[in-house]
Amino acid sequence: MASRGSTVLRVLAKHLLAEVPAARFGLAPGRVRRAAWARGTRRAFEELGPAFVKLGQLISVRPDEFSDELVAEMRSMQDSVPPIPASAIRAVIAAEFAAEPEELFATFEDTPLASASIAQVHRATLSESYRPVWGEVLPPGADVVVKVVRPGAAESIRADIAVARRLAARLAGTGLARRFDPVALLDESAVTVERELDLRQEGRFADRFRFDFRDDPRVVVPRIVWPRSTARMLTMEYMRGWRLTELEAARAEGVDCRGLAVHGATAFMRQVFVHGRYHADLHPANLFVTPDDTIAYLDFGIVGHLTPEERMNITQVMAALVYRDADRALTYSAKLGVHVPPDRIEAVRRGLGKLLDGTTRRDGTRDFALFGLGFLKLLGRHGVRIPSGYGLLIKSLATVEGVARALYPEIDIVATAQPFTTRILGQAMGDPARLRERMPAAVRAALRELVA
Amino acid sequence: MTDDVMRFFAAWMLTHEAADEGLKAAVLRGESGGPEGMGGGPDAFVDGLAAMVAEEKERLKRALEARARGEEPAAERDSDPALEEIRFEVAELRGRLDSIESLLETLVRKIG
Repeated sequence: MASRGSTVLRVLAKHLLAEVPAARFGLAPGRVRRAAWARGTRRAFEELGPAFVKLGQLISVRPDEFSDELVAEMRSMQDSVPPIPASAIRAVIAAEFAAEPEELFATFEDTPLASASIAQVHRATLSESYRPVWGEVLPPGADVVVKVVRPGAAESIRADIAVARRLAARLAGTGLARRFDPVALLDESAVTVERELDLRQEGRFADRFRFDFRDDPRVVVPRIVWPRSTARMLTMEYMRGWRLTELEAARAEGVDCRGLAVHGATAFMRQVFVHGRYHADLHPANLFVTPDDTIAYLDFGIVGHLTPEERMNITQVMAALVYRDADRALTYSAKLGVHVPPDRIEAVRRGLGKLLDGTTRRDGTRDFALFGLGFLKLLGRHGVRIPSGYGLLIKSLATVEGVARALYPEIDIVATAQPFTTRILGQAMGDPARLRERMPAAVRAALRELVA
Repeated sequence: MTDDVMRFFAAWMLTHEAADEGLKAAVLRGESGGPEGMGGGPDAFVDGLAAMVAEEKERLKRALEARARGEEPAAERDSDPALEEIRFEVAELRGRLDSIESLLETLVRKIG
């Protein structure tokens, strides 16, 4: 473990030293200097592997605690690594099923489709039909993908987190990390990674997502083949389409990208406000547009869950953004754990009011990313701790906006939230507990109006 | 009395369609919503809600007209969500059993 600790420090030092000239030996203006250190840190994290990639992803949702430059660098972090030999993947499959891939599938391709820090993906075809949890039967010969956790990935990630945690504890002890708690950040990272390492959780969420959107023919999710899935291997339907980086090809084939952007944004609002569970790892590689004018969601490794109470409070916060109501935003953010000290409330309220009014683009649409990240920074400036789920949701919404704008630059993500928030809050008026609480005041107001 | 609040207000709005100028004005303000059309704050929410109830009212009107023509409204053809949820949970359980069965087969292969 000590040697890995030295490796971590050596890799960090190597990439930070490589940025020294860009930072003009520490004499460059603050912004340039911070950008150089951030770039070096990002490159070190990419080299250090999955545990650090996940840590970087967590940093990318904390603009309240880290510099803009570091947050931006971590958002651009690539989770793509050279593939490992097929023999190593075959060994994992053999360990999981005591059988060769050819005994489990009609065909299995040794050349991987994709390779990331935690898992590698191979193409195969089913040898027999399978009736999935939801949706039509997959026939024999159906194209599937087999996602396999890289051998040793779980052990090395856990070891890396232990090393990083020890370094973080030392860092916390020096007092250099005053703005954030590095140990808590690593603990949060460990929980996320543990969830991702059990592929069955991803499969179960894919099934649930497919069920949630059963009435929406424009949203598709791969069907999971459970007899060929374990904690370290997930077999699912192969999806054809174009990644968001290949949109020109999709447009050339006549795919309605604008319509899909609006529909995709609406689908995300439905995940958050109606179902209370959402895909929290949307990026261009996890989202396809298909030749049938549908959106295909992939990779449910990171999922956000909301309790009914959280969902209602988030709906209120979103309604506050839709209707530019700073007081509503603060009241319901407090219920989500964002506690502003009483002596700071007025200053935060003023800052929030400015943000609500100042995040409209020239074309009249609202810029959610600017608002959301600005709000987190505003809270950070006033020393307000932000619950991780709150940061994750804001980052997810900002990502959805970015993805939707790649398809349709003029989209207003806030406008897509308006029908959901308004309807849900309208429906909430019928809640018996709320009626009991508010009815006396409403009757008094009505009587005042009648006798006026 | 329906337990759908929006539907309730829509029914109320339908029966008061010609009466309330204030409500009509709120609907218009709500329909022209967005950063340009709304002043912001709680009143803007009430306007937005009024516009949405007005949309629901139009849907209700169409449903009533359809029923008068002897057609079955689409909403009444939808299956029961609670029943659908149970169907999903049973199917999910089947998926887990498929997985366990496969695991047992693996164990048999390993032992044999």
